[in-house]
Amino acid sequence: MNTPGIRPAVAPHKRRSSRSQPAQKRDYGLVILAAPAVILLLVFAYGPMAGLIVAFQDFNIADGVFASPWAGLENFRFFFTSGDATRIMRNTLLLNVLFLSATLAVGVMLALMLNEIRGKVTKRFFQSVIFVPYFVSPIVVSIFLQAFLAGPGGRGGLINDAAGLFGIPSVTWYTEPGPWPWILTLVKVWQLGGYMSVIFLAAITAIPEEVYEAGEIDGASRAQMAWRITTPLLKPTAAILLVLGVGRIFYGDFATIYAIVGDNGTLFPTTDVIDTYVFRALRTRGDFGVTAAIGLVQSVVGFVLVVVATMVQRRYAKETSIL
Amino acid sequence: MSAHHTFSRRSFLAGTGAAMTAVGLAACGNGSSNGNGTSTSRYSLLLPGDTPTDWTRIRDAVNEKLRTDLGFEIEPQFINWSNFANQSLLKFTAGEDFQTALSARWLNIAQLIEGGSLQPMDDLLASGDYGNLTAAVDESAFDANRWSDGNVYGVPAVNSAARIHCYVARGDLIDRYAGGEITSFDQLEQFWYDVHAGEGIVGYVKNNSVFDVLGAPTGTMFAEGWESPSMIPLYFSSDSLLFVPSRDAATSGVTDAVPFWEYQPYVDALRRARRYYEDGIINADRLNVDSATAGALFKSGGAATTWAITDGANTSAHLSQLEEAVPGASLVTLLPFADGRDARPNQTFQADNLVVVNAAAADAEAAMALLDWVSIQENHDLLQYGIEGTDWTPVGEDAYEPTSDYANFPGYALSWRIPLERRYSRMSESEQAWFEWSKDYNNFTQDPFAGFIPDLSAIETEHAQITAAIGEYGNPLWAGAVDVDEGLDNLKHAVEQAGLATVQEELNRQADAYLASQ
Repeated sequence: MNTPGIRPAVAPHKRRSSRSQPAQKRDYGLVILAAPAVILLLVFAYGPMAGLIVAFQDFNIADGVFASPWAGLENFRFFFTSGDATRIMRNTLLLNVLFLSATLAVGVMLALMLNEIRGKVTKRFFQSVIFVPYFVSPIVVSIFLQAFLAGPGGRGGLINDAAGLFGIPSVTWYTEPGPWPWILTLVKVWQLGGYMSVIFLAAITAIPEEVYEAGEIDGASRAQMAWRITTPLLKPTAAILLVLGVGRIFYGDFATIYAIVGDNGTLFPTTDVIDTYVFRALRTRGDFGVTAAIGLVQSVVGFVLVVVATMVQRRYAKETSIL
Repeated sequence: MSAHHTFSRRSFLAGTGAAMTAVGLAACGNGSSNGNGTSTSRYSLLLPGDTPTDWTRIRDAVNEKLRTDLGFEIEPQFINWSNFANQSLLKFTAGEDFQTALSARWLNIAQLIEGGSLQPMDDLLASGDYGNLTAAVDESAFDANRWSDGNVYGVPAVNSAARIHCYVARGDLIDRYAGGEITSFDQLEQFWYDVHAGEGIVGYVKNNSVFDVLGAPTGTMFAEGWESPSMIPLYFSSDSLLFVPSRDAATSGVTDAVPFWEYQPYVDALRRARRYYEDGIINADRLNVDSATAGALFKSGGAATTWAITDGANTSAHLSQLEEAVPGASLVTLLPFADGRDARPNQTFQADNLVVVNAAAADAEAAMALLDWVSIQENHDLLQYGIEGTDWTPVGEDAYEPTSDYANFPGYALSWRIPLERRYSRMSESEQAWFEWSKDYNNFTQDPFAGFIPDLSAIETEHAQITAAIGEYGNPLWAGAVDVDEGLDNLKHAVEQAGLATVQEELNRQADAYLASQ
């Protein structure tokens, strides 16, 4: 509320008049430059949203989107009455929180360690080596994992063979749901640790040299500089990655989890996430309506989580927030 | 030189527009040039399995003949078995343009028919335009695969009257551990334990399947099925819950089907699977291994037996690779029926594989013309075995000897026809005997529910949720990976919550109506 007698910083009529000014010629150029991207966004990102109508239909191919009968909230009921909804949501959130926190932490640690390597060639070499897993297909990862955990015929595997040397009994990993959140987290760290570290390394190179010089003058060791200078200055980057990650926290990383777990029902109690559930629902029913309904639930919850994460970040880490 | 001079904004925009136009125009094309500058339609087909060795060479030869005979070409998409069910269903439901595909009750034909994704064939077959096809596939085979609405939706791709689930075993190990012969399930079980103790390998390897344990009518761990192969369970879909009909249903007219766990021999089979799992007799990775990997363990000498079926393809599928891994190894096809070849197993004569025509196909008549074209011996042989003289040579009247790495085309998904099939020249004596036996309808008993194909439209949601419960709690039971009592309790609880009572009532209602109509 304006106090009488105090003028607003910018006069309202002034702002209105600036809006009504004719656009400068260079603005047309910017509009033309942006047009392809905007059109692509409208066509491929916003256009398909019309398909969400299927979530409220008993969709069939013969009648198509326009003639399929309405189903109200029946498709949502399938998901929420399946008895699996709570477990699936819990797994989705838990696994993604594990993936996100572990990959961020390992990314920062790797970046700090790489930053301490002085030899340029050595640094590049290690950087490349830890980045390579990012390009490995989830299917190949699943084969690696089978070799490690099960071996031919499912009785053995490198881990069990190694444990056997110390008299530790074998574990049939593929029938024990308990360890799988940690196994999948290790896989994600292996896949994404190097990728994350490159992002943090880029942020480290942007830290002004004078800051470290000041640290040196104050007598800080390299470890102290890493802990007290580099790490705090990585907070904005970590915050951005965190918010981006939170936006996808309701997505279950289908490619990795399905490639590794597949239809192994014994592992579902700890590994079944919303995407793998949707895939099975689609496969068993061939029903786009249920799939669209669960996808809509996913998107809405994801959107809410992004908004909440951004608000929390603005409130508690204002100085590092650029959102 | 600055970037501004090398690549102006106008150039960028014009280039982007041109590229997008080119991509758009390319995507609109559906034909191919035949080299003479004229366009020839090229139709896609969905086939399960790996692309055969030398496929491009054979496809070109097939297409050359197809162009001359029918004026079009084919471009099959090979989809790995482990993904075929999902991917073919998605392609159908997305309305993708392809001509034919493999489907069946054990795949997703029920959903495809219900969704209007398949072309009904009766009128096309009755038109008289496809005489080679109707001559090569017996009318009774079409009738056995008629849907509940009276229509035929697929060409039965069969090379025998019926196929029985059985085993292919290492003959050299049978000589060493079983005195050269196995004629009963008890002997087979003893053989597995002896081989495991003597060689340190698993007795039997396979990926997971309900029919391995709850057989129809024989299952590799369903001992009662080998003594009395007369039980074929009823189901809405084969990956959902299996129900056991009353023994006197045919005479009483009352189906009274109960969930499989109320039939003691099936529970015994589950306990046997669990014992084999714990004793190291079966592979422990059944829940997460695919069929190719399980097969590879057998071919590399890592197992004494593996799953087989009486379709005449066991020796050709395994022998050469097994011989490379284990010199001197041999194969035996085993059916440990208590009555030997006098057994008369129940059969529905419903085909394991049906070639269906996509309702969204660009040209359904061309799809039928292709099915007719592969029903001629010369064309069938070209597709199935490759180029005569290069890829194979005839042996006697009905056998062939492969002379290249081809001869691996999945005929069961397009071109299997009983009168046209040739026998692999190295087929083992035991396989040949059982294969010939399986071609004779008189060697089987027609099941009381032979033509019964239930309609799941009334219980779709319950069925989907039960199928999900089977995937979660049933599969570990068939694999032997969980305690039977605990696993069954979990399964019962899940399917009861999903609507077991409704599904059971609907199945019995439809089955009773079927019996009344006979």
